Parts: sequence; structure tokens; C-alpha cells
Amino acid sequence: MAVLPRRIIKETQRLMQEPVPGISAVPDDSNARYFHVIVTGPEDSPFEGGLFKLELFLPEDYPMSAPKVRFITKIYHPNIDRLGRICLDILKDKWSPALQIRTVLLSIQALLSAPNPDDPLANDVAELWKVNEIEAIRNAKEWTRRYAMDN
Amino acid sequence: MAASQENESDMDFSDNDCYDYNNYYNDDDSDVEHVDPMKVDPEYFEYRCLSEEEVERLLNESVESLSNCLRISPTLAKVLLHGHHWNSNEVIRKYKDNPSQTIIWAKINPPSPQSIMTSNYYTCPVCVTPQHVEKFSHLPCGHKFCKDCWITHFEVQINQGISTSISCMAKDCVVLVPESFVLMHLQHKTNIREKYQHFVFQDYVKSHPELRFCPGPNCPIIVHSREIKAKKSICEQCKTAFCFRCGCDYHAPTDCQVIKKWLIKCADDSETANYISAHTKDCPKCHICIEKNGGCNHMQCYNCKHDFCWMCLGDWKSHGSEYYECSRYRENPNIAHESVHAQAREALTKYLHYYERWENHSKSLKLEEQTLEKLRDRINEKVMSGLGTWIDWQYLFASANLLAKCRYTLQYTYPFAYYMDAGPRKELFEYQQAQLEAEIENLSWKIERAETTDRGDLENQMDIAEKRRTTLLKDFLDV
Repeated sequence: MAVLPRRIIKETQRLMQEPVPGISAVPDDSNARYFHVIVTGPEDSPFEGGLFKLELFLPEDYPMSAPKVRFITKIYHPNIDRLGRICLDILKDKWSPALQIRTVLLSIQALLSAPNPDDPLANDVAELWKVNEIEAIRNAKEWTRRYAMDN
Repeated sequence: MAASQENESDMDFSDNDCYDYNNYYNDDDSDVEHVDPMKVDPEYFEYRCLSEEEVERLLNESVESLSNCLRISPTLAKVLLHGHHWNSNEVIRKYKDNPSQTIIWAKINPPSPQSIMTSNYYTCPVCVTPQHVEKFSHLPCGHKFCKDCWITHFEVQINQGISTSISCMAKDCVVLVPESFVLMHLQHKTNIREKYQHFVFQDYVKSHPELRFCPGPNCPIIVHSREIKAKKSICEQCKTAFCFRCGCDYHAPTDCQVIKKWLIKCADDSETANYISAHTKDCPKCHICIEKNGGCNHMQCYNCKHDFCWMCLGDWKSHGSEYYECSRYRENPNIAHESVHAQAREALTKYLHYYERWENHSKSLKLEEQTLEKLRDRINEKVMSGLGTWIDWQYLFASANLLAKCRYTLQYTYPFAYYMDAGPRKELFEYQQAQLEAEIENLSWKIERAETTDRGDLENQMDIAEKRRTTLLKDFLDV
């Protein structure tokens, strides 16, 4: 394993010392570029009360390229598909090397509070979110209860 | 003889010919009055085939003249030109109107400048390493990063094929990195530097409306024309013929959008359409589309349970056992005209009508290439056995080339007609198309029997076919 860049070491230290409220990110024992992430569902969102597991991987050219992030816990959200892939601009073309793991995770948490059905990844979910928001939110709560609680 | 010469010059539409053509009409001694070449030949097109070096020179000239005109640095001039599709006049107008705003729009300067820190040591926000301020560099936006991080940033971007659109590393900063800044950082990295310059050049050519890369495989030629039109350019090096505006195969009289639509339609629909046409029929009662998936002609509609005969579409009850002698076929020709399914089938029939002809001419073009090869062998034999000289037989090649040219145009008249609205103009078009079709088949017939056809007769036929082709293009080529 190549030497870990100073940038990754610093970020990891800070994540451990001053964790972001509602988010935990722990590097894997065998791979310091792989993080086990848990995001708590934001208050006043259909995901409230849920604990969502994610995986985050820092590619070879991080921070010049964005980290790779994916939901492991099933989630009913218009911008997250069945495989847990996330549609978020800063993970794609809006990535800047000045962004960090913590800013990425905060953005993901914010995405849970503010779903954007106009830029969908999961089309069926986005469709329902637009035509019948009440039912969509009911589904999201149901999925949160079923998949993101008590485990 | 005159006819064949004219045709030959038409076919080899090289730069030299254009030049001669101009000279011909500009010649003072000539008593021919000045004629707009466009009116004589609707496909007339002035263009030049340039090498990369020549294009670089051309671009540099624009950069230099703009930089002199506005008294700005060449770097700035280049970015401004690239951002305005190399339209110098537009840049000059905008810049004279509001220089600072123009530079902000071109993403050279930030909308609001940042305060620049002035300390000796500074921590790079990307690699979080504290270093002396000398190790840092920044764009007009003032976002400082260490030079090593800039280099890695450029490497990653360039390896993804990004060049002129590389931007500052700061979050939400839109300022673009100019060529000179990248090259300065990559001065010791020859490979990536060359890659960058290659991509930048491609971006420049692609953003320049007067330039187009030859689409021929691995061909380095770039075609330049001041006239940005859907006209035929032929690469001097690899001989690829293509439309200057869209870079696809030349497609007169059809225009760029329509041919694209047609080709997509053909790629999407043809297989399905042929299958549907060959294997399905509409239920005579409920008009749902039915696929015949077995040998028996006694069909039962899965939708409405109607029993009918596949052959004649008549009710099965009246059939008994002699359905192969189906006599009801002609008695029941009209199956509910207005139904959606019948209309869909009608649309399909229409599409297939045009598609089959389009395909057929494409195949004929290939077959006639073989005819040309055979012709070459036969001429060889003739010359070797003392029947005339090479020059005597050249007219046969000229005729074969002309045939290919005419048939090519004819092929591309079908997508044009398919998308044409019904009316007198379409009637005229289809009349001319039919005329061209007839003359081309005559020509093809005569070429296949070239040895027994009188040369004058053949040349006459060539003249007629080409006249039909140009008449059609004059009336309908609108680029």
C-alpha cells in the first residue's frame, strides 16, 4: 500500500476528533481509503429516526477526483437509486479538490432533507414524488422504518 | 467531348478546380459574362484542405489581430475568441462596450475578486501542507494552491480529455485556467503537456465554425471554408467526401437535421419494421397487432377472441376446410380505415416504401463499384489487344463516376421526400425524382453494355442524367 497522502491523514484525524453531528465516518482497519459511514436521518424529514449505512471510497487521485459514495441501506429517495448510487452534483462535475469528506457527507445529509425530484436518478420514485408527494413520503417513512431502524 | 470534360471537372472538385473556375470567369479576355457559380452548379463550394500547422497559423493570426486591435494579451485574446466561436467582430463589439464584463463572462476574471493573503507561509487547502508562498500560484480569482496540486489537478483533468474547460480548484469557482497557466505548470512534463496541447487544438477547431476535421479514419486534414453550409467537401488526402456543416456523409438534397432524423429512424426502426411487416397483421375485428407464431392459418385473436383466416383476414366460420384456396382475399380489402392500428400500418408502409428505395440505391452503388472493376479489366484487355489506347477508353470511367454521383444524390432524395409535406412542391419533387431515376437506370444499362453502346449515345445519356440531377438540386437544395 502506497503512503497515505497527508491530506487524507489530516481529514481522517479531524473526522475522528471533531465528528460532524449526525454523521460517523470510520476508516476500515485494512484500508484507510475505505470509510464505513453512518448518517442519521435528518429531523422533520421522512428519514427521521433512521440510521443509514453508506460506503465511501477515496480513489487514487483523491482529492483531484471526487470520493465514491454509495448507500448500503435501502432508501426511498428520488435522487438515490436501487443500488444506492447518489445523484449529487458535487460528486460529479461540480467536484472541487477543495471539498472534503465532511462536506460531501453534509451535502448527502442535506439531500435527505431536500429531495430533488426534478433531477431524478430513481425515475419511479421521482415520478411519485411529483404527482403524489404524500404517498411518496409515506413510502419513504415505511422504507425507513423497515430498513433503517433496529439493526 | 465537351460534355465529358465538364463532367470530369465536376467530379474532381478539388481546390485547383475551384481556382480555375474563378479564373475562368474573371478572365478579362473572356467574352462570357460573369455568372455566379452557385447558379450554374448548386453544389459549388469553395474550401481548402489544411494541415494542423496551417490551421494553427490561421488561429494565431486571428489571435494576433484581435490582440493588436484591442491591445490585450494574446492569452486573453485566445480565450475570448474560443468563448465566442472565433467571431472577432463579436468580441470587439462586446469588449469595446464593456471590457471588464466581457472578461467576467468569458470566465477569465471572477465576478468578485478575492482578497489575496499576504503572509510568507501558507497551507495549501488541497494537500494541507504548509509551504512558502513562493510555492503557490493562483488565477485572477486569487484562490491560492500549491504548484504541485495545480499540476496533479491538470494531469487528472487532461487524462479525462478535459482541456480548455479546466477551471480553478476552489469550490464553486468558475474561473477558467488559460492555456499559458497550464503550460507554465507542465513545463517539465512533456507527455501530458503534449496531450494537453493536442486536446486544446481539437477544442479550438471544434469551436470554430469555419473549420471541420476530416472524418476519414486517422486523417489529420482540417477543411476550412468561409461559407458555413451543408456542402460537399472532399478531403485531398484520404478522399473522404462529407458534408461540411455536420461532418456526416454528404446528403444533398436532404438537410443536416432531416438526414440525422432519417438515419436514426432507419437504425431504430428498420429491423423491427421489417419484422412487423413480414410477420404480423391486424385483427380484422379489434385491429390489434397479431404475430403469427405457428403454421396454422386459423387464427384466434388473443384480445377479442375473434376467429379469422390469416390469409384473407375473413371470418373463419365461412371457411370450412379449403382455406388455402382462399377466395375472399379480394372481397375484403378494406379493413377499417380509420383505426389506429390501420393507420400505424399505413405509416409503416409509407416508411418502408422510402426505406426500401433508399436501401436499394445504396446496394446498387456497391454493385456498380463492381461493374467499374470489371470495366477496368475489360479496358485492360482491349488496350493490350490493340483496340484503342488508354485515353480512348477514359470516357467509360468518367461515365461510371458520373453514374455513382447521380445515384448517390438519388439515394438521398428518398429521406427528403419521406419528410416532405404533401402538396404541389412534393409532387414536383417526386416528378423530378422519377425523371432522375429513369435517366440513371438508362445510364446504368448503357454502361453495363458499354462496348456495344455508341460513345456519343453514352455521353448524351451522361449529359441528360447530370442535367436532371442539377435541376433537382437547383430547385430543392436549400443550404
